[in-house]
Amino acid sequence: MRKHSFVAIMSALAVMLMFSSVSQAKVYLTITGETFKKITIGVPYFKGEKAAGSSLGMSDLLNKDLDFSGFFITAPASLIDRELLDEGVEKGEVKFASWRSIGIDIVCKGRLSVANGELSLEAFVYDTLDGSMVLAKRYKARQNEWRRVTHRLADDIIFAVTGEKGIMSSRVLFTAGRRNLKEIYLSDFDGQNVARLTNYRSITLSPSLSPNGKYLAYTSYRDGRPNLYVTDFDKKNEIFVERSEGMKIGTSWLNNSTLVYSHTSGRTSTIYAFDVGSRSKKVLVQRDGILTSPTVSPDGSRLVFVSDMFGTPQIFSKALPSGEPKRLTYHGKYNSAPAFSPKGDLIAFVANISGGFEICTMNADGSNQRVLTNDGTVNDSPQFSACGRYIIYTSLKGGVNRLNVMLFNGENKRTLRFTDFAEEQPRFAP
Amino acid sequence: MKKILILLVALIFVAAGCAPKAVQTTPPTTSATDRSLSDKDRDRTGISEEELAKAERDRLLREQERLAGILRDIQFDFDSYAVNSSELPKIEGVASFMKGDRSVRIVIEGHCDERGTVDYNLALGQKRAEAVKAYLLKLGIEGSRIRTISYGKELPVDTGKTEEAWAKNRRAHFKLDRKG
Repeated sequence: MRKHSFVAIMSALAVMLMFSSVSQAKVYLTITGETFKKITIGVPYFKGEKAAGSSLGMSDLLNKDLDFSGFFITAPASLIDRELLDEGVEKGEVKFASWRSIGIDIVCKGRLSVANGELSLEAFVYDTLDGSMVLAKRYKARQNEWRRVTHRLADDIIFAVTGEKGIMSSRVLFTAGRRNLKEIYLSDFDGQNVARLTNYRSITLSPSLSPNGKYLAYTSYRDGRPNLYVTDFDKKNEIFVERSEGMKIGTSWLNNSTLVYSHTSGRTSTIYAFDVGSRSKKVLVQRDGILTSPTVSPDGSRLVFVSDMFGTPQIFSKALPSGEPKRLTYHGKYNSAPAFSPKGDLIAFVANISGGFEICTMNADGSNQRVLTNDGTVNDSPQFSACGRYIIYTSLKGGVNRLNVMLFNGENKRTLRFTDFAEEQPRFAP
Repeated sequence: MKKILILLVALIFVAAGCAPKAVQTTPPTTSATDRSLSDKDRDRTGISEEELAKAERDRLLREQERLAGILRDIQFDFDSYAVNSSELPKIEGVASFMKGDRSVRIVIEGHCDERGTVDYNLALGQKRAEAVKAYLLKLGIEGSRIRTISYGKELPVDTGKTEEAWAKNRRAHFKLDRKG
């Protein structure tokens, strides 16, 4: 991991940087263990920001993003005196010793200019210890896209310092609504551009996007019973996946065109792989009782699912196509809702621990189980971010489901709010 | 108002048709016929719309009460879809009601309490409905007269956070299948 991060940073710098004065990169933060020391970062007002008008709050938003990421302590503006606020952005103009003396490890300087509705931002990120350049990058965009630019800068800083992309530029797919009236939404991570994707005025559940974002699978009650559908965003049409009686839930994609879903009807449950192109399905596993929450490892080699074959919901793993199910969870009487990390090394899941339903992680072989929440309520639907370092999930607070995000070690829990409704079943979207 | 009234009248006909001993002398026919009949009846009797509506409402209410006495929720233990023996008489009551009127078709809804995960509860609700259906089949009711739908934890009857509220929500709920 340490080596990987280093390589990642090296290659990232090679791609990203346009300035020749960048010193050799180093790993500031290795986020592999359970705890790590946060980096203190100072982000003074960007040059030209005040002149650009009050509608642009780029340095404020950048501070918020970096704080939200969980990897940084952002220095409050009151800590930075006028002399430091007024200094230039070029390396020769920055008084590194002064920044260091107020405890700041990294400083991000920006020069902003706005003309004819276009904005241009030059960002310089320095290590105050030796004055070396961590990141230097120019961003150009329409003025009204200043939020997007800021999130990209935040993600670039997070990448430069931690070796992995951040989540500030990502989107979130979720369900929201009231009793008997629940629809699917997609929003930018920062709550901007909230879009309702369905309008069936009934119960709509368990949305999942294909990896390329072309297909959306969901279960809808609009015909008076739960049927499973896939919407093709390109062709703008809708495909019936399954409308025979019983409960059908699609939760995972084997690849860009193959949905994995569970069907419970009669005595048995079945997990199918459904090919959207040919509209053909094949059985992956079938048993008496309940089979649900299928999820496929990122390399497509293993199917992980929930079964009550031993009397209580437990998580199983099976080699595809025809391995025998191997039980992964033995602690407690309720383990459910598994979700793979993007590297396939971890599985997030929900366990009943002394009455509460808590988000946990374990290695893909079931070892090394860790409990990440401890609030005794119902936490549900954990899903990893594309970088693998965040888990988004639902938490029942005061009788209402809210979306939350935390680092994969359980630190830095934050509540997200996109709509005026209860929100559930979140996923990071490309 | 007129539309609501027509709907109510049509509903009464359907409900009456479902009862084991139908008091109504008019045979239950298609809703189109019901509508023309009831319109004519009302014109002849000269009873005000309000009075008629109230009478229909009362009758509908009584019918609902009667059905509620027969179609009682089947309760389940946490994370279980095994039908408790204490619940069997309720299912037997539904079976004899269905045997008494061969036109009755039902929907069994499976529901869960708020604890546990969304996906698992959707499957669990299905199994609860199926478990009740299986017992009705054993009692000789035709499978073609029963549909099952799971709502997971989407539609609680009690939103409280107590064991009592959760127990009420863990249920299989019967409804007359009006879609036929």
